[in-house]
Amino acid sequence: MKITLLIALLLATTTLNAMDRTEADTVAAQAQRAYVAGDYERALVLFDSVRAAYASPGLLLNIGNCYYKLGDVPRAILNYERGLRLAPGDEDIQANLDLAREQVKDRVNQLPAFALATTWGRVRGGRDADQWARRSLWAGLAFFVLLGAGFSMRKRWLRRLFFGTSGALMILLAVSVIFASVRHGEVVDDSEAIILAPKVDVLSEPRAGTTVLFVLHKGTKVTVLQEQNTWYEVKLPNGSVGWMPPATLERI
Amino acid sequence: MRFLPILAFALLGAMRAQAQQVSFTASVDRNTIAAGEYVRLTIALANSSERFGPPDLGGMVIVQGPFENSSFNYINGHMSSSVSRTWTLTATTPGRYIIGPARIKVGGGVIQTEPITIEVTKGTAPPADASASQGQRTDPNLFATVSLSRNKAYVGEQIIATYMLYCRYSGLEITKYELPKLEGFWSEEVELGETNWENEPRTVNGLQYRVAVLKKQILFPQKSGKLRIAPLDLTCVVNRTFFNPGKTITARSNAAEFTAMELPPGAPAGFSGAVGELQFDVRTDRTAVKANEAVEVTVRVVGRSNLKLVQAPALSFPTDFETYDPKVIDKIAVNGSGMSGSREFQYLAIPRHEGRYALDPITFSYFDTNTGAYRTMQGSPVVIDVSPGDGSPTALVQRPSKTDVEVLEHDIRYIRTGDLHLRTKDHHLYGSWPWVVGMAAPALGFVLFLGWHRKRERETADIAGTRRKRADHVARKRLQEAATALANDAREPFYTALAKALQGYLADKFGLGVAELTAPVVREQLARTADGNELADAFTRLITACDMARFAPVEDRPRKELYEEAATLIARIERSPRA
Repeated sequence: MKITLLIALLLATTTLNAMDRTEADTVAAQAQRAYVAGDYERALVLFDSVRAAYASPGLLLNIGNCYYKLGDVPRAILNYERGLRLAPGDEDIQANLDLAREQVKDRVNQLPAFALATTWGRVRGGRDADQWARRSLWAGLAFFVLLGAGFSMRKRWLRRLFFGTSGALMILLAVSVIFASVRHGEVVDDSEAIILAPKVDVLSEPRAGTTVLFVLHKGTKVTVLQEQNTWYEVKLPNGSVGWMPPATLERI
Repeated sequence: MRFLPILAFALLGAMRAQAQQVSFTASVDRNTIAAGEYVRLTIALANSSERFGPPDLGGMVIVQGPFENSSFNYINGHMSSSVSRTWTLTATTPGRYIIGPARIKVGGGVIQTEPITIEVTKGTAPPADASASQGQRTDPNLFATVSLSRNKAYVGEQIIATYMLYCRYSGLEITKYELPKLEGFWSEEVELGETNWENEPRTVNGLQYRVAVLKKQILFPQKSGKLRIAPLDLTCVVNRTFFNPGKTITARSNAAEFTAMELPPGAPAGFSGAVGELQFDVRTDRTAVKANEAVEVTVRVVGRSNLKLVQAPALSFPTDFETYDPKVIDKIAVNGSGMSGSREFQYLAIPRHEGRYALDPITFSYFDTNTGAYRTMQGSPVVIDVSPGDGSPTALVQRPSKTDVEVLEHDIRYIRTGDLHLRTKDHHLYGSWPWVVGMAAPALGFVLFLGWHRKRERETADIAGTRRKRADHVARKRLQEAATALANDAREPFYTALAKALQGYLADKFGLGVAELTAPVVREQLARTADGNELADAFTRLITACDMARFAPVEDRPRKELYEEAATLIARIERSPRA
């Protein structure tokens, strides 16, 4: 009895949370219309409701834009960073992120993207995080099919052709599996975070009242090393490490 | 005790029997006057030559007088004299006034008149200038006043300050006067020309003055709070005639107090400090021009206001218009009623490229003193049609100079529109079951394919084995042919098919050519099987029978029997171990 109830509840919550794909598209279209009309608050609410179940670089760009237009730069940065993680090298997101970062008070050594890096990012990233996983599947299929075809050929030059192509495909397969693995690691990684609090004293110990090592401001990107009693140990690109009080940052 | 003076009077009279009776009386022509009207007080003394002055007037003011009238009579040895003095009195405020008794000393006593009560009612006569009573008077016959049209106004609102001179002297020459320095005001003088005296005299405190307006100023308070206008100092020479050097009098006016109110908060964006009552319009000299021709947009502000402080509203022409600072044309009159008129701003703009350009609506904001609120007026929209420039042959071919695209402002890039390519959140293909299966399936398929392929290859490589395996199959096919021939009663094809079936079968079975199948070879090969000799005999017998039937017309046994024997033989060889 208890178990059936639990299952029913679980089903109910999942159906509640999981928006239908077509419904999500409809809501996203509504949000886009609201944005066009300049009603950024409404657009944000709608995009957020889609975001509860779905993700895509475009969606995150749009959410970031809503926050930016509403004046919440740190959350805009957060969403741009999330979008870039899904699609490194997305020019629009990168441009908006660079612009939003200009409004961050702390100057940390974060280079703006240069053209080559953007191109490399596009090659590496693509439109979504699953790109290389899909490619690895296709490469695997093609590799084995060609290999099999090569074995079944009687004419020597045909066999050579097929084996040669399948060899190239094997390299592609290996590369795509490596890329897919690396990308998966990047997408799953949540060690980086954006500071949302207007001003944070970074302390030497995870306890209030200890020595203030340095002060950070909203919008700055930090790496979270560990979490202890909801305190975060963070590291800056320049190597400084310290503890930040709870609820001052959000992981990308 | 009330009778005491009368008693004394009687006694005195008795003492001076030969002298005429002394009488001392006071009278007025009327007891009730309106405020500002005059009453005549006459005090008469008979049979005495004592001097007397006006009694206590109880607050009333002497306008004229005294006029003295005296008479002297000598009749029948009796001498009588009388003297009367007359004053014209007035009072400005209504009330009950008591003119006290006048006293004289006669002989050793004192004679006094009766007090007189005068009622002053609210008058119909023009009340005296209120500010005039405030003037500081060193000389009651000459003073100056400052009066403001209002005591309270908004910052920037115009008020009128009037400086007036009140004078009772006949000849007056103003030698020096200095307008006070104004702090907290921006002022504008009103041109009055010669000092002009008003036709009608004005009455102040019952006295009639000639009045002249010395100066008028339009004042615009520039800051809020209590502001003070300092007194005006004036030096005059009066009663100067040819013989008389005259008298120099200095006069100082009152100081005026003024409260400037702060404008209410919430001024609209384009508010630049205009306060008053204004109208606003926008005109364009033409709406269709050719490129590189000038367009003039005129913004006009009309009304009563601090017009000289009105600033040009900012016009936003399209970016590639060449624009100039606006020309300001004032038609502003400053007169006794304030500052009014119009101020025009002429904007000159030269469009450089053809197209249809609509200017942003031109607005003008001011503080309306009538309603006490800000008002924003919008001018009629301006649309300018620019046609391509004049292509007249004299005109130089102007090559547009190229300029870098100027980045005016940075903003984020627009949102992604259209399909967002949504994917389920936190669902990654890499490492998921579909991916693992998708990766493994081709590999598995390949392994299976390879196994099957290898097997087949091995088989193709072993031809003898294949022949052996297929021997039965082939033999059956040939037996089938033989059976068909048997049914058709075809002799030659029957024996040929039968012989081929038997020989082919054994050749396939032993991996030999048909030519090699001699009786000893057959015997040798079949010896390895059980019943080898018997089988070999049966084979040889059948082949011999077929050959006999084929090559010689000898048929010693029925064909059917032969056929069945052959089929049985093949079946037996096939079934026997180590075939």
